[in-house]
Amino acid sequence: MSFVGRTFKPATALARTARLGMRLYASEATGASSGKLTVNFALPHMTVLKSQEMNQVDMSAVSGDLGVLADHVPTIEQLKPGVVDFIGDAGSQKYFVSGGFAIMNPNSVLNINAVEAFKLEDIDAQAVAANLAESQRLAASAKDEVTKAAAAIEVELYESLQSALSK
Amino acid sequence: MTFAWRAAGMNYLQYSSIAARALRRVAKSELQPEIAKRQGMGIKAAKWENGKSGLPTPVSTIETRPRAEN
Repeated sequence: MSFVGRTFKPATALARTARLGMRLYASEATGASSGKLTVNFALPHMTVLKSQEMNQVDMSAVSGDLGVLADHVPTIEQLKPGVVDFIGDAGSQKYFVSGGFAIMNPNSVLNINAVEAFKLEDIDAQAVAANLAESQRLAASAKDEVTKAAAAIEVELYESLQSALSK
Repeated sequence: MTFAWRAAGMNYLQYSSIAARALRRVAKSELQPEIAKRQGMGIKAAKWENGKSGLPTPVSTIETRPRAEN
């Protein structure tokens, strides 16, 4: 963070922000606010969105569900398996992600990384039902903790996927 | 707040790959050939002793479905 040319205002929240380089409230946003987010959404094998302007992005994080608008407080969120909804001028695009991270930057750039993501229409609902049953069976019958935990992860993902498909 | 998988002895990378595999399984069949290209990569490790290599064996992964033998 460069402080060149910035006058030092003693004991105000703004000065504290400038000194620490950390912003606590959306009202202290200094970015040129066009009211839009710049979204980058990448998977290891493919870039889904690059520098796309969006109005809002809804996602499901471990700390809770959130909707991100321009000038959102900078944050890093771990994503749960769930739907990430990109709402732009052209409408909403939904992707189901297997997990990952969302990083909100002070300049209204939102980076979302996931390992796997598919549009809801690319998911086979019957396969979800069958795999959910199989994973539940494994979770109930597994002997060792790790396999049980792995099955529980799959159950959580398939349940979330089923409820997303049914909406 | 500890995750259940971490309490069971799993790390984040394993958790992440289990979730990714689970999601890939339920993608539509038209997409499966492309998906197959990015799956199936594993690591084999060989133990060396006295300058001689042992047999390379796959590093174990957490499996939740029976492995399909090709």
